[in-house]
Amino acid sequence: MDPSSAKPRCSVPKPCNHLADYKLKYGLAGYDSLQDNFVTGSNGKTIVCTPDRKIPRCFFCDGYRERLYLCLVCSSVSCLDHTLLHSRSDCGNDIAVDVKRSELYCGKCHDQVYDADFDTAVVSKYKKDLIVCRNAFESIGERSSKRRRLSSAIDLDLKKWKELPCIRDQRAKSCYPIGLRGLNNLGNTCFMNSVLQALLHAPPLRNYFLSGRHNRETCPRRSLDGFCLLCDIDIIFSAMFSGDRSPYSPAQFLYSWWQHSANLASYTQQDAHEFFISLLDGIHEKENKLRDTNKDAGDCPCIAHRVFSGLLRSDVTCLTCGFTSTTYDPFMDISLHLDSSHCLSTETTNKGSKLNGSTSISTSTLIGCLDLFTKPEKLGSDQKLHCQNCQEKQDSSKQLSIGRLPLALCLQVKRFEHSFIRKTSRKIDWHLQFPFSLDMSPYLSSSIIRKRLGNRMISFDGDESDVSAEYEIFAVVTHSGMLESGHYVTYLRLRNQWYKCDDAWITEVDEATVRASQCYMTFYVQKMLYHKANEEIGCAPTSSRRDSLMSVVGYC
Amino acid sequence: MSASREDNTSPDAQLSSHFFGDLLDSIIVDIASECHRIAKLGLDRNLEDEEEELRRSTQARVRAADPSNSGETNSKYVVDIFGQTHPAVANEIFDCMNCGRSIMAGRFAPHLEKCMGKGRKARLKAARSSTTAQNRYSRGSPASTYSPYSNSTSTNRLSNGSTGVAGEDLSNGTSEEP
Repeated sequence: MDPSSAKPRCSVPKPCNHLADYKLKYGLAGYDSLQDNFVTGSNGKTIVCTPDRKIPRCFFCDGYRERLYLCLVCSSVSCLDHTLLHSRSDCGNDIAVDVKRSELYCGKCHDQVYDADFDTAVVSKYKKDLIVCRNAFESIGERSSKRRRLSSAIDLDLKKWKELPCIRDQRAKSCYPIGLRGLNNLGNTCFMNSVLQALLHAPPLRNYFLSGRHNRETCPRRSLDGFCLLCDIDIIFSAMFSGDRSPYSPAQFLYSWWQHSANLASYTQQDAHEFFISLLDGIHEKENKLRDTNKDAGDCPCIAHRVFSGLLRSDVTCLTCGFTSTTYDPFMDISLHLDSSHCLSTETTNKGSKLNGSTSISTSTLIGCLDLFTKPEKLGSDQKLHCQNCQEKQDSSKQLSIGRLPLALCLQVKRFEHSFIRKTSRKIDWHLQFPFSLDMSPYLSSSIIRKRLGNRMISFDGDESDVSAEYEIFAVVTHSGMLESGHYVTYLRLRNQWYKCDDAWITEVDEATVRASQCYMTFYVQKMLYHKANEEIGCAPTSSRRDSLMSVVGYC
Repeated sequence: MSASREDNTSPDAQLSSHFFGDLLDSIIVDIASECHRIAKLGLDRNLEDEEEELRRSTQARVRAADPSNSGETNSKYVVDIFGQTHPAVANEIFDCMNCGRSIMAGRFAPHLEKCMGKGRKARLKAARSSTTAQNRYSRGSPASTYSPYSNSTSTNRLSNGSTGVAGEDLSNGTSEEP
C-alpha cells in the first residue's frame, strides 16, 4: 500500500508570486469574508452575489456586460480592463475573483489562478449542507470498513501455499501457470464453467482457498445442511491446482449449487452473470447462517463480500434549489449500459470492409460506459422527488459514483435490449473496447463530486486517495451467438499471457484475439494484487522444485 | 468583445443581437475557464493513451475479421496447450451423487435434472403433490447482495449452449449411457 505509487488525481499548481504575496499578507481573511456571498446552483456552479443582490457593475466605467471581478483587497468590482488597470496602479491589488464563475484572477499575470484554500471556501457553505444529509451508514460503516479492507487485503496474502505434487509426466507441463486446467461441459454448463474459470484465478479468492482458509474437515455447515457451497468450491480449487491437467468435471459443485438455487436448477441455457450473482449470494448466505447474524453488505466478513463488494453512492439533486440527498448501496458488480453514442449501426453487417484502413472508427468503449454510468441523469418529470429544502416535489437529477472500490471488480455489459413495441429481446452484438489497465479514480465519489462542483480542489471525507484505484484485468467472459443459444468462453490473463478457456480446451491466444472478442463480463483486480499474483503462480513455488522444472523445461 | 454592427436593423433586433452576443461570449468564457482549470490541475484525460488503445482494438478486429486468419476464434481445436484432445461430449464417467448411477460427464446435467426432480416435466409432476421447493434465492431481500439499482428481469440473460452441439433437451425419455 505505497501511497507514492498511486498517481495523484489532481495536482495543485504552484501559485504565482502575486498570489503567494497576497496570501502571505492577508491569509484566508479575504476568502472567509466572501463565504456568505457564494451561492452554488443546482448545476454545481458557484457565483458571487453582492450583499444587496444588485447587479454588479464596474466601479470605474459602470459597465455590467463584460466579465466582472471583485478585488480581494479593496472589494471594488471592476470589468476586465479596469481590473488590469487597478492592479497596475494600486500596488498589491492583484488578486480578484470572477464574480460569475468564482475563479481567482491575477491582474499581473493576466491569467486565472488557483488556490486550494479558495476552492474550499467556495464550496464550504454547500458542503455543510452536503454533510448534514448523509445517512448514518457512511460515517459508521465507511471508516471501519476502510480499516477492515486494508487489513483484509493483507490477510489474503498467500500464507500457506499448499504442497503441490510434482508430476514428471510430460502432460503435466509444469511450466504453465498453476491452476490452468479445463472444465468439462456437463450439458449446457459453459455459463458455469466460464465464471468458475474467472473466479479460480481471482487472486484474493484464489489465495483464500489455497491457504486453506475454509477447512473442509472442520466445516460445521456440512453437518448442518448436508452440503456447503464453500466446501465444494474448495474442492474445485484443490482439484484445479493439483497439477493434474486433464479437464475436471465440476459435478459435485453443480449438484451443490442446484440445491442452493432451486429456481435456477435446470438443464437449460442460462446466463453467466446470473450464475455469478447466485454463487456469491450463496456464499454470503452460508456465512450469515453459520454466524447466526444478518450482517449488512457493508461489514460482512464473508469471502464473497471481502473480495467483490464495493459501495455505490447515489446523489439526487433538486434542480430548483440545489439541495442534494445522498444514499449508499452495496454492490457485488457493476452492470453497465452500452455507450451507444459512438457506435456505427452498420457494424454488424460490414465487418471486413468498414474496418479496412480507416483510422478513426468510433467505437463503444468500457470507459465510455463508465462515463455514462456516472453521468448526471435528469429524472423525467414523472419522477419528481420530494426535496427537503423546497418542501415539495421538484425535478431532480441523479448521479452515481463509487463510494468504495472492491479488491476485485466485475463489470458486466448489458448486451440485451428489450423492445416494448415488438415485445422481444435481442442481443446487442456491438464490439466493446476494454482496457487491460483500468484507472477507476475518475469514477470515485470524491472525483465525481469535485467535478460536479467545478473541479474544485477540496478535501473529501473518506477520501480514497490512500487506496489505489488502479486495476489490471485478469479475466474476460465472452459470449458468442444469439440470446437464446450461444456459447461462453473465458480468457484468462496469467503472467501477462492470455489463455482461452473453452470448457475442456485450454489454448494460448495473443492479446489481439482478446481485444477483438465480444466481452460480456470483465474482471479486474487491484494492480498490486495482480502483480503479486503473477509472482506466485510461477513454475515452481519452492526452490526444491527446481530439479523437476529442469526435467520438463524442454517441453515448454 | 461584442459584435458591433452598423446595419440598419430595428433597435429591437440590434438589442437582441447584443444580448445574444453577450450570452454567447459568456458561455465561451465559461468553457474556456473550465478547460483552463482542468488543464492547470492536471485533470485532463490522457488522450494519447486512449487513442492508442482504440488503435490496438481496431487492428485486432481487422485481423479477426480477416478470413485468411483461420485463427483461434471458434475454429476446431487440434490439441490444447497440454497436448490433449477432447471429444465434443465429455466422456469422463463418474457416479451421480444423488442416485449413485454411473453417468457420462457430458450428460450429467440433464440426468441430474431428472434425478433431482428439477426438470420441467418433473416439476409439473411435483406440483401435483403437496411439497413445494423453497425458493432460497430471492432478490431484494436484506441478505441479498444484488444491487437494487439495476433492473434485471428474466429476459435480461444471455443463454449458452454446449460445445458445438446444439443444445437439445434430453428430457424426453432417452436413456443415459450406463
